Amino acid sequence: MKADTQVLRSKTSAPHYVPVGNEERVFKAAYRQGLPLLIKGPTGCGKTRFVEAMAHQLGRPLITVACHDDLSTADLVGRFLLRGGETEWVDGPLTRAVREGAICYLDEVVEARQDTTVVLHPLADHRRQLPLERLGVTLSAPPEFCLVVSYNPGYQSILKDLKDSTRQRMTAIELTFAAPELEVKIVAHEAGITTAKAAELVRLAQAIRRLEAAGLREVASTRVLISAGRLIAEGLKMREAARAAIVGPLTDDVTATRGLLEMVDVFLPDESVPSLGRA
Amino acid sequence: MSVSVERSSDVARFGFLASAIANRPVQVLPGQPGELAWTDGKSVFIDAEKSLHEQLTALAVQAALLAANSLNREIASALLRRPTLTRRYLSVEAARALRAVATLLPPSLHALLSVDVQSDSPAASLLLARERTALPDPPPSFGAIRARQLLARPADLAASTVSSSRSSSPSLVELAEDATTRAPAQDSFVGALGGGGTLGKWLSRLLTAVRQISGGGAPGADAPTHWTRSGRRGSRGSMFATASTGGLEAARVPRDGGIKYPEWDVHTQRYRADFCTVQEVEITTKPDATRFAVVDRVGLRRALSRLGLGIDRYHRQVQGDDIDIDAVIEARIELLAGSAPDENVFIDSARRRRDLSVLLLLDVSASAGEPAEGGKTVHEQQRAAAASLTLTLHELGDRVALYAYHSQGRASVRLMPVKRFGEGAGALLMQRLGSLEPGAYSRLGAAIRHGTALLTDHGGTPRQLLVVLSDGLAYDHGYEPAYGAADARRALGEARSQGVACLCLSIGANTDHESLQKVFGRFAHAALPSPDQLSQVIGRLFRSAIRSADVRRRIA
Repeated sequence: MKADTQVLRSKTSAPHYVPVGNEERVFKAAYRQGLPLLIKGPTGCGKTRFVEAMAHQLGRPLITVACHDDLSTADLVGRFLLRGGETEWVDGPLTRAVREGAICYLDEVVEARQDTTVVLHPLADHRRQLPLERLGVTLSAPPEFCLVVSYNPGYQSILKDLKDSTRQRMTAIELTFAAPELEVKIVAHEAGITTAKAAELVRLAQAIRRLEAAGLREVASTRVLISAGRLIAEGLKMREAARAAIVGPLTDDVTATRGLLEMVDVFLPDESVPSLGRA
Repeated sequence: MSVSVERSSDVARFGFLASAIANRPVQVLPGQPGELAWTDGKSVFIDAEKSLHEQLTALAVQAALLAANSLNREIASALLRRPTLTRRYLSVEAARALRAVATLLPPSLHALLSVDVQSDSPAASLLLARERTALPDPPPSFGAIRARQLLARPADLAASTVSSSRSSSPSLVELAEDATTRAPAQDSFVGALGGGGTLGKWLSRLLTAVRQISGGGAPGADAPTHWTRSGRRGSRGSMFATASTGGLEAARVPRDGGIKYPEWDVHTQRYRADFCTVQEVEITTKPDATRFAVVDRVGLRRALSRLGLGIDRYHRQVQGDDIDIDAVIEARIELLAGSAPDENVFIDSARRRRDLSVLLLLDVSASAGEPAEGGKTVHEQQRAAAASLTLTLHELGDRVALYAYHSQGRASVRLMPVKRFGEGAGALLMQRLGSLEPGAYSRLGAAIRHGTALLTDHGGTPRQLLVVLSDGLAYDHGYEPAYGAADARRALGEARSQGVACLCLSIGANTDHESLQKVFGRFAHAALPSPDQLSQVIGRLFRSAIRSADVRRRIA
């Protein structure tokens, strides 16, 4: 088994997820109908968390595969290992999900090579079958099995895109960052900080997100806001936390860093000089 | 808010803030001391001497006006030479614009939102400003609207609010002109080979030898010192040419009169043997060679250093993560037959040496002398890009050569070595490059053929890449655009069939992108407004060009 094909089981405690639209209803409807799902959305907007929450609500185990550009069919389906003079078959994560009726989640599926994703085709259409060529068997997926793939459309390039034939088999859910009021609640809950502080972070993020046109490749996601919030919960000052969790990860460029630091200073209160009494 | 003195002197740091509020890329520049803040639609000028709060106020108001489309051309025309109306308009419109971006304003500026909003659009604000009702003058910290400067900008200020800085915008007028001289419809075959398109990949796969017998040597021999993919890429299974190229190999021997190359005649659909004469001409370095700056080497190095280091699968390895069934079966048979089996029974995925040689061809025909964006000539822009690419690739340990080319009819195609393979990348390179002056025409096909010959003879690596830096399509005596495009396409096809990846960069020039794209294929051509953008596209371009040339077996 490759080290980077990680297999995770859903945790026993319910993951916190606040729906931003009709995505929960779409997911459950598709699940009941046995339709595969394609989840799109920017980095850190909650794609993985959404799938975790759904798996928990539906009471199915979740098997996650982080896709990379050398993910082969064997990594998904399984392979023979040599033991002495004998070969021994070992199931891959996809095969195991089909056998167990789990939710199989392929994270960042565009990273996988296109010839690998073709193995999903018979699973993703009406057949719901997984042919295991090397074993000469075809597994039929139980009704509980569900295939979920996700990717970030912002990263799309000429080289990396889903095949149209793969894409057509999916039902799509498009996630975006939550509306500001909702995002404030999410950040406050996840990080354990006051709503007022969360609101300041979200306001800063709203401004940074408008910079995409100005050449910032990646914008402040809900995830980095939560990281910043958690640093604040640890007792860091808001500006310190924002520098460490928002500015630093976003860019290495000197001018961009300077511009972002300036935005942090303008948007977040200066706690080193107490009680400035801003309106 | 406490602000140290040295920080307040530099207003450029507000660029991101202004861009965020304006929802488009905006620079912040220091204005004249004492003058009111203003904007020309692309930059906001603020007085660096003012207090931080006043600077922020001015910035927020000006950026908000941009965001709210308050400064479009109709409004600016209406305000031209009418200072009182302009002030009244600013007073009304600023309140509306600020309210529109209320959620984005920093907490320190929330006081600005206390003013009543009286209109719901720029036009309504203008109507209101034209009436006789008393309006308060806008506070000086709001700055001013300078209609003349707004109108001076030819660009479409009022158009899309989000104009990505990355996208280049070819003007429509040029496209229309271009249509008259456009070459016949692109050969989809060449286009596919030129890029990583589905057809190209399919073809690569189709043309690949299905099984290669590894040249591992005699049984029991030592393992090879380094990893190879057995055999030169592209040499196997290449099936491009349908006709003889007129003795390309023989013609390569330099004679006194230069090297002869054939040329493809699109009208008769055949090669003209020994048609062009290529001469390699030394550049006479001038003592007063221009010195010039080399652009963004760090970004380029980052983009290029990972090139050619993709993960690949290797069969019959000592270790690996999958079993090479064929090898196992052979090993078992050998064991049962009583001989010592080969233990290399795994398929490995690994990153290996880059093995890349690059030849850059720099177009120095007269058209490169024309002015480009940013006040420089096309030649200066291309030269800067060529220099930084050559130096960066050299530093990364690739074999790299740089030749300039121009021509004066088919008998005199001149290639001038700026840096040969094997030469160092030192002061001489820069001096030669600085001594180049654009002139004459360009016969692209012959230059590509000679470049390919140089690469295959002197490159010495399995992966070879030909990069053409050109501002436009070939033109020479008896080499009109359609004919030239066909010949260049043919020359590229020859190069690619020999496993040489080809791509083209146009920098600074805003002419003829379409036809170059048709010649090189959509994925193998990029047009950049300036050399600074090179690092953003170069990795992707090089990678896809090399991939399409890597005609090889990939086991899924």
